[in-house]
Amino acid sequence: MNRSILITLGILPVLFLAACGGAKEEAKKDEAPAAAPAAAVDEASAASITGKVMFAGDKPTMRAISMDATPACSRQHSTPPKSEEVVLNADGSLANVFVYVKAGLTAQSWPTPTTPAKLDQKTCVYTPHVLGVMVNQDIEITNSDPTNHNIHPLPKSNREWNESQPPGGDAKVKQFPREELAIPIKCNVHPWMRSYVHVMSHPYFSVTGSDGTFSIKNLPPGEYTLEAWHEKYPAQEVKVKVGPKEEGKADFTIKG
Amino acid sequence: MSDPNNPIPEQDPVVHSSLSKPLYISAALLVLCTVWALYDEVYAMRPWKSYQSRFAALYSEYLKKITPVEEADETKVKASGEYKRMEQQMADLRAKLGPKMSEMEREINQVLTPKIIDLNNAYQVLRSEISALTYQIEVASSDSSKNSLRADIEEIKKRMESVSLPEPDGALKKYEYSYAKMEEDLAKWRERKTQLLDRLAETRKPIMELDEKMSRFVADRGPELSGSVLRGLRAKLDNWDISIRQIHVRDVDLVDRCESCHLGIREPVTITAADMNGERAFTSHPRKELLKIHDPERFGCSPCHNGNGIATSSVTKGHGRHKYWLWPLYYPENVQAGCQHCHVKEIVTEFATALNEGRELFRRRGCIGCHRYEAYDRDWEELVATGQTIRNLEQQRADYQREIGVSTRRADVAKENSEAQRLYQHADNLRIRISGIDSRIEQLDLRTSDLWKEVKKVGPNLKDVRLKLRKEWVPVWIKDPHAWRPGAKMPTFRLTEEEVRAISAFIWQSGVNGPLAKHPQGNAERGKEALETRGCLACHSIGEGSQQEGGDFAANLSRMGEKINYDYMVRWIDNPRQRTLPYDPHEKRDLTEEDYKKAGVPFVFDNEHTVSPVNGRQLLVQNMTTMPHMRLSIEEARDIATYLMTRKRASFSFPPAGFMDDPKLKDRGRFLVRHYGCAACHEIAGLEDEQRIGTELTKEGSKPLERLDFALLTHDAYKEGWYNHKGFFENKLKNPAVFDKGKEKTDPLERLKMPNFNLEKKEVDALTTFLLGSVESPLPPRYHYNPPGQKQDIIEGWWLVRKYNCMGCHQLLIGQETVFMKMKRYEDPDWKEQRPPSLIGEGARVNPGWLKEFLENPALSESNKDRNGVRTYLKARMPTFYFSDGELRKLVLFFEALSNQAQPFIPSRLDPITEQERLLARALFTSEGAPCLKCHATGDPAHDARATAPNFVTAGQRLKPGWTKRWLLDPAMMIPGTAMPSGLFAREGDRWVFAGPLPAGFQNYRKDHADLLVRYMFSFTPDELARMRSSARSGN
Repeated sequence: MNRSILITLGILPVLFLAACGGAKEEAKKDEAPAAAPAAAVDEASAASITGKVMFAGDKPTMRAISMDATPACSRQHSTPPKSEEVVLNADGSLANVFVYVKAGLTAQSWPTPTTPAKLDQKTCVYTPHVLGVMVNQDIEITNSDPTNHNIHPLPKSNREWNESQPPGGDAKVKQFPREELAIPIKCNVHPWMRSYVHVMSHPYFSVTGSDGTFSIKNLPPGEYTLEAWHEKYPAQEVKVKVGPKEEGKADFTIKG
Repeated sequence: MSDPNNPIPEQDPVVHSSLSKPLYISAALLVLCTVWALYDEVYAMRPWKSYQSRFAALYSEYLKKITPVEEADETKVKASGEYKRMEQQMADLRAKLGPKMSEMEREINQVLTPKIIDLNNAYQVLRSEISALTYQIEVASSDSSKNSLRADIEEIKKRMESVSLPEPDGALKKYEYSYAKMEEDLAKWRERKTQLLDRLAETRKPIMELDEKMSRFVADRGPELSGSVLRGLRAKLDNWDISIRQIHVRDVDLVDRCESCHLGIREPVTITAADMNGERAFTSHPRKELLKIHDPERFGCSPCHNGNGIATSSVTKGHGRHKYWLWPLYYPENVQAGCQHCHVKEIVTEFATALNEGRELFRRRGCIGCHRYEAYDRDWEELVATGQTIRNLEQQRADYQREIGVSTRRADVAKENSEAQRLYQHADNLRIRISGIDSRIEQLDLRTSDLWKEVKKVGPNLKDVRLKLRKEWVPVWIKDPHAWRPGAKMPTFRLTEEEVRAISAFIWQSGVNGPLAKHPQGNAERGKEALETRGCLACHSIGEGSQQEGGDFAANLSRMGEKINYDYMVRWIDNPRQRTLPYDPHEKRDLTEEDYKKAGVPFVFDNEHTVSPVNGRQLLVQNMTTMPHMRLSIEEARDIATYLMTRKRASFSFPPAGFMDDPKLKDRGRFLVRHYGCAACHEIAGLEDEQRIGTELTKEGSKPLERLDFALLTHDAYKEGWYNHKGFFENKLKNPAVFDKGKEKTDPLERLKMPNFNLEKKEVDALTTFLLGSVESPLPPRYHYNPPGQKQDIIEGWWLVRKYNCMGCHQLLIGQETVFMKMKRYEDPDWKEQRPPSLIGEGARVNPGWLKEFLENPALSESNKDRNGVRTYLKARMPTFYFSDGELRKLVLFFEALSNQAQPFIPSRLDPITEQERLLARALFTSEGAPCLKCHATGDPAHDARATAPNFVTAGQRLKPGWTKRWLLDPAMMIPGTAMPSGLFAREGDRWVFAGPLPAGFQNYRKDHADLLVRYMFSFTPDELARMRSSARSGN
């Protein structure tokens, strides 16, 4: 063997080890920063955002749902109920719009609410039709109908499940551990039944009701992007800046 | 020359000459060498030592980091309400049973055991004395001495021994014992002890069970590893020993020292490079489940990964990445090549996704058309062999016939009667032999008919071009298929303009002219919906670029309107297997109506009419396409064809192609078609028996490197580091003409023939993986995966599953995605349940006899074929594949084997259902609280119009009862996300009860409710069905 090669071979591991030794020290610095602890919002400076979601465009007509396949359902309605895909209020505002802070919050974790959210199956429809919850918050699902339902969420990020709930059965308490917008909930037995559950990592969301308004309270001052989500129409975004104790306004117009 | 006058004084060597310098240098060199040698010995030649110390440091740091996290997880689980409840239960149990148990333990340990031990000691002394005397009796010579010894034994037995036995309080008390009394007491106490131990175990059982439940609770919810395991690992690192880690499998002479550096491979903790400061060498094996199947102690590392397992002196040598090692370590993108070493007969190997993709591409892209590869295309080979055997047998038959004639004639004129008798007998014997040959030919004929159903071609039948295609489109396509349809299956050949014209002309002129029915236009909008929902897109894709949706098993249909003839399209969609003319392999031509007329038989050829009117042999009556019969109505076929006719670019034009009718081009075209091997993938008139034109690739991965022709690129390849198999395959696949670079080839026919498939990087990697693994394995055959029995059925079945693309619609492998799962429409919550069913566990689900019938006739009806037999509510259609008998058998056995079902299938016997039970079951089935009939079909058309789940009526014939019960109890275990809800039954003691309001009469029913429903379903009679339907109508 060539001598110079031998010597090089002898020296190489030394250099090699030296290089590796250096690498080792770097490793120690590389500690992951811990997630910011749950921070209480300073009540004194908390801001809020309110607004109204209006509908623009041709008024959609909702089809009547035929519940004839299950007399136990149809008996509960004097006239066939209308689909809740679009619920337009008398003043032209839109109900069942989920408005939430999409961007602008600092990275931190918020405590999970201890009171459970409620989802009821009554007269063979879901109440509420649109529900916002926080990650891991309990959702209490009840069956107030005289017939069997099954609850079948079809999430994309969370785990899918499908459980039967007989009439008079115990409430089911479920949680979704991952943030996800608009998880459709369906009942395979009654194909017209549909609800959407939004799972948020923060508590800044609201669902419009029969007056089309929403209100998001207790926000730290800052600049936020709000999104209004509707199951049928494209979502809308609005940017709002709120100072301490300020009440911001954010109105949306959803186009049909 | 020295001057004599002035002589140089003689020098004193001691004074003037010193060796100290050279000696010093030598000594210094010697020291240096010694130091170097020592250094080399301890360090330089053993780089693994530094790996080991680095690993120990990094790993212990990592363990330190994760221990608190994992322990915190464990603590959290233990703090949960449910665990606390169990702890409480445990405390209660201990409080309740503890005193009883300690009383028993006290008696066993403090009373019985010491007494037994002490008495047994005394007893053993006497016994050994007796044994010694007994032996002396046996060896004593005289009777008198025997008798005296016997008397001695009696003496001993009579003797009273004084024995001190412990009292419960520990004090010793003396007892007088005879031998017999000792035996008696010992037996008595031992019996008592056994009894107590049994009772103790019985009493302790609930505690043990709860304890197990608690640890399982922690294991199921807690961290990957418990605190104690982590502590064990850290202790191991504290006593870290730097030494070679070696696997030695003696009988195959396998020595792998890979783990001397790759120390994390088998650690129970999942270690990633990021955990180890980026050192990839220290990660744990990424597929732990593979190590479970292939125990490293038996398989080592290098049989799968390649590399030089013995070398430890450098990374390059260990990995074998130098020119002297034949088996260099596979790069990550080809790592699954190792699977192919032993799994040679498979087309699907679980976990080997990339390799499977390579094997599938090899088949689907038509590589197999030119390159033979063992295990592929066996039906063609069998067909050829069968034909050969039949011809041999016919020859033999003819020989016998001749011999019969000769023998008979000679007998007729024989002089002697005996001679005549012998010759007549010989002729008769030959007649019997001929009848044997006839029956053998009959069998082979049947098999041939089967095989003609099985053989497929990768590309379409070119005999139909005149009926099917726009003439001007043909040369455009032949010139460059990928220019017209990106991603086309057909590769681009290196053709000159002249060659394109000649080939087009030959193809066109050799096409048949057959009858083609005219069809009215359909509705394009309905056709679009049908195309998107009937299942066409499981194989075909439509749309281009980002718009593209569907599978890649068959052609993209986006520009169909530019090339196709509408009437042909309708006929094709209606039934693609229907040929224009039948092919007679013996006559080597398509038969015409003329041929049938001459023989006086009606011109009918289909799966029931497969015999040639010319020679009585089997005909090819189907198109050799895998596209199945969708059993759509003719209207729907027209709708789809009409829609496809609208699929074309806004403007397109093809140059006129009058030359295609020039008869002078035909011969040149025919020559070129043979030269380029077109008949490998296409059926072409006159070229049905063409042989493969490429080299066999079964062992291509171990072909000596110098036999792979790098041509003028050898030098570059060497310099650039790709002078190896991987480099050759990759470059050849990327650009098959690459090794012509710089070559002087004036005649285009001399150039490399392999066409360009325009493969994507992923496809090149997959095919390279497959080829790299295609080696003459150095391992002994027992390592080859050649399993006995049912596992063979699985291997065989996968070939069919791939051949017909079952996985386009169905899930067959855990984690596998179907085309439907990727289509936008089928993500919608309402469409999700329109996906074809998962077939994981199908063998456990269905009765194999039923399955065979279903595969043969998926409509499960003779009168109405335009439907699905089981899932009538699905828009996607289970098509008819016209499987051969052999294929049907293979598929059924495949599903059975995949689900570990015993062969042959013997239906389990269910307890007969009593009339009382039938009433109860019917009431439950149709009650408002039970959702069964809201989704499942019952065979009542009014009810079934809304059904979204299979028909109960067929359950008895279709399903297996054990599966049915497991399905009822927890369907999500089998198909997560299924429309069938879980939680229908609740556990109550040792039985399952329906978890909802029960109909009257169930209060006194003590048996399992799920069992009851299963037995009810499996005992349906038409009467019972009528009753169930009517009570369903009135109830719901």
